[in-house]
Amino acid sequence: MALSIGLDSAVKALRAHQVVVDTAAHNIANANTPGFSRQRVLLRPIGISGSNYFGRDALIGRVGFGVDAHDVNRVRDVFLDFQARQTLGSKAQWDTHAKALGKTEVAFAEPSDSGISEMLGQFWSAWHDVVNDPESSAARTTIVNAATTLSGRIRTAAQGLVVERADLDRQVAGTAERINSAAGEIAGLNFQIKQVELSGDVANDLRDRRDLLLDDLSKIAQISYAEQADKTVTVYLGSHELVQSNQARTVAAIPDLANPGMRKLIFEIDSEDVTTTSGELRALLDARDVDIPGMRTKLDQLASGLINATNALHSTGFGLDGSTGLAFFTGVGAVDMDVNAVVAAAPQKVAAASGAGLPGDGSNALRIADLQSSLAMAAGTQTFDQYYANMVSVFGADVKRSEGQAESSGLLVDHIESLRESVKGVNIDEEVTNLNQAQKAYQAAARVISVIDEMLDTLINRTAV
Amino acid sequence: MRTSELGRLHSRQASLERASGNMDKVQRQLSTGRKITVASDDAAGSALALGHRRNINFENQMRRNLETGRAVLNAGEAALGSGTDLLQRARELTVNAASGTLSQSDRIVVALEIDQIIAGLAQLGNTQFGGAYLFSGHQSNAPAYAVTGNPPTAVTYQGDTGQRLRRVSEQDTVAVNVPGVEAFASIFDDLIALRDDLNGAAPASAINAHLTTIDDGLERMIAARAAMGARANRFETAQSVSEQRNVGLQELRSSIEEIDLPSTIVEFTAAQNALEAALGAIGRTSGMTLLDFLR
Repeated sequence: MALSIGLDSAVKALRAHQVVVDTAAHNIANANTPGFSRQRVLLRPIGISGSNYFGRDALIGRVGFGVDAHDVNRVRDVFLDFQARQTLGSKAQWDTHAKALGKTEVAFAEPSDSGISEMLGQFWSAWHDVVNDPESSAARTTIVNAATTLSGRIRTAAQGLVVERADLDRQVAGTAERINSAAGEIAGLNFQIKQVELSGDVANDLRDRRDLLLDDLSKIAQISYAEQADKTVTVYLGSHELVQSNQARTVAAIPDLANPGMRKLIFEIDSEDVTTTSGELRALLDARDVDIPGMRTKLDQLASGLINATNALHSTGFGLDGSTGLAFFTGVGAVDMDVNAVVAAAPQKVAAASGAGLPGDGSNALRIADLQSSLAMAAGTQTFDQYYANMVSVFGADVKRSEGQAESSGLLVDHIESLRESVKGVNIDEEVTNLNQAQKAYQAAARVISVIDEMLDTLINRTAV
Repeated sequence: MRTSELGRLHSRQASLERASGNMDKVQRQLSTGRKITVASDDAAGSALALGHRRNINFENQMRRNLETGRAVLNAGEAALGSGTDLLQRARELTVNAASGTLSQSDRIVVALEIDQIIAGLAQLGNTQFGGAYLFSGHQSNAPAYAVTGNPPTAVTYQGDTGQRLRRVSEQDTVAVNVPGVEAFASIFDDLIALRDDLNGAAPASAINAHLTTIDDGLERMIAARAAMGARANRFETAQSVSEQRNVGLQELRSSIEEIDLPSTIVEFTAAQNALEAALGAIGRTSGMTLLDFLR
């Protein structure tokens, strides 16, 4: 049995434990790097299989030839990755939805002293003042002012919805760039990983980066993916291929002819629509095409209901100057509702009377004031005030629902992320322990070398020839 | 369970976010005094609150209508009260003149006083309130009565029978005027005829016959006055009922929209404690690693 075998084992131990120290250093360095998976050195003893040359001595095979750091592994649970990506998509969806709707809701901050409901109340009140003093120019000026304020408030709210929609559309277009950049990088990583792993190495850090990009993509839209035999991942966005091998399909935002003024996302290669059931993109599209237009339609109905009902009565009445047949409001909806400029310029034309030359008659104004209690909206089931209160509270309930979904999916994400981190995350205490262990082993191996050295010294220099 | 640096960081961030978010919310409630600032804070509550606000606005307007309506009615009632006094005086004068004891020169003095009464009644008929002639019906921009000649030979009604209706509750509209033709009726013609008879030395029986028409006039005027007074009283009652209702509505509204101060302060303290606890736990544990214990 040769002393050099022991020496060789000790050198292998030095080398292996250097790898352990290097790995601990790498782990500690990346303790706070998002997406990083801790790495672990796989040590294995070198045994009989590689030692045929020394087969003559039965003992040699039993002892073995030291240690080999044969692999450095990424510690990661792919099933948790899969679960995490599903929940990330739904959290991002509801977060985005709640934020978009919350912004819209502020434009209808109710109940308040400055909202549409209050303006509506002042509008009805001002009509009563005209009823009480039809000959008074002060009362007539008040109703013109109240109606002007109400129209202005409704127009501002409608304009706010237009701006919010345009903003959401910009965000929709923005997701195209984010999808393209992530998809492009994944395709590049696919190529690199394939190259590295073909040669038998493991591309741990490249894989971490690719996994992080898959996380990011799943926040934007609903994706599915599968790792292929050649170590590349194929990614589908909706049911359309997004990345295959080192090829990424680009997505573009183009004007949507079916949805005037808005854009849609398509795959440039075949012009197919991008579809998604979750993620930010879903929320942006829902808010842009369903929630905000829904609110706008209701606001338009409220405005046109007020315009038509008031005008129908007003045009049959008579002003102080005998004028008749005049509309009180102009416009057809929320964006263009305003007080008829003819009436606004000359409040004596407010048609308070039911006949010409009756300055003390406020009966037509009373009919208009009584519209407050008429079931003019929602197919004859709601008053104007009720319709508005209902539209605001229904929207509020939608916001609340999104916030609730965001919160509960957030808790789920937190839970799965903590499970994921508990598998793949770096624990410094653990790394320090590994470091200590490796240090001890390294010191011991060095000691082995010096022992063998002394033995050789004894053998060579102290033995009489 | 195995923990990692990033995992711990995330859970600390999450617990801090929750604790400070909670405190922020309670703090905002405390500083605004409101539970609901947007409908999503309480969707059902905000619909109710908007309904209460609508009713509060409506009740406020009804009280305004009642208040100003009562002032109009009071002015009308006062005018008719003075008119009644004048007619009573005319009646006394007629009774005296009809007794046949007056000389013609005394009768002419009486006739002069009747002229004054006619002028006085015409003035009352032209009572204005807030720029509108009270007894002109819908012709409120013109005096109700035009007097021709001095001494008057004719007093003509220029108004119409229009009723000035206003809303006083969800169900009721009430007129705050009585047209001159109802309150004064033919009083002016009757008094002019009386005066002409006095001046023209008509027999006592003819003077006596005027008593009937004056009594008729008195009766009508008293009835009109009573009607206005009754409405004014009704308005007063309705006003106080509405005020009570308003108090109830305001309470309902504020219980939905506004915070209950003591319980919100307790909530705030709890949120503050939770945040302090989270911060304290992080402060005590975050620096700790195995390295602190290795030599």
